[in-house]
Amino acid sequence: MEYNKEKREIKLNRELNNLDKFVLNFVDLLDGYVVVSGYVSILLGRSRATEDVDLLIPEMSEKEFYDLWRKMDRCGFECINTSKEKEAFDMLKEHAIRFAKIGQPIPNIEFKFIKIEIDRYSYENKIKVVLNQGDIFISPLELQIAYKLFLSADGTDEELKSDKDIEDARHLYKVFNEKINKEELLIFINKLNVKKRLRFLE
Amino acid sequence: MCRPFYTEPTTQMKASEVKVDLEELKKFKIQNAKERLKFIDFWANYVKTHSDKEWSEQQNILIDSQISPG
Repeated sequence: MEYNKEKREIKLNRELNNLDKFVLNFVDLLDGYVVVSGYVSILLGRSRATEDVDLLIPEMSEKEFYDLWRKMDRCGFECINTSKEKEAFDMLKEHAIRFAKIGQPIPNIEFKFIKIEIDRYSYENKIKVVLNQGDIFISPLELQIAYKLFLSADGTDEELKSDKDIEDARHLYKVFNEKINKEELLIFINKLNVKKRLRFLE
Repeated sequence: MCRPFYTEPTTQMKASEVKVDLEELKKFKIQNAKERLKFIDFWANYVKTHSDKEWSEQQNILIDSQISPG
């Protein structure tokens, strides 16, 4: 795995699994997106699976969404929430919607518009992961680690230690320790008010 | 031929008879969490020190056992 910070690029010569292929097939249909959350850790080696992949896209017009909807249908994807494109677009204005291969709800893509600044930061500073069969854009690692600490459940130290989100954060931190921008990581740790959870990374 | 060393119990415990020591179980939970974090570190180090092909082949056994091809 080679991480070029200046180019914001990770070269990953990994064997692709069924989840990777599913994601590559889906993101191929999109003009712009960024993958966030659990799949980022999994793509970069975390030893677990997931039934969904979280993805952010820039807001689009109704017409652009309908064009995408038809493209997805032609390529074998369906919306799990509804079969009606107008309903799906109305839902998307409020919350995430899910897409999956027709007749196969798992795995699925949780798809939502970029609305808050932290999502916009992810999109504007995304990292390109270069694979043998295509590229996937992921959230910047520093924000991903801090946000995973934020997502972890409230609880005692003992409870948190076996929290999936803590483990995801720790995996990324340990694999990319030398390359992470520690200043940037601390900025997000402070903004997300998770300084007390920093110790779970060490 | 392997012979089992475990023999079936002749009596069967009732759920109501089970003694539960919550403090003891809490210790197991804490120990389990520590061991999970140790494995995270072990595996992260493995990812750093082996080729992408090597670690991903192993990871894929897990993922492809749960996710079928589309």
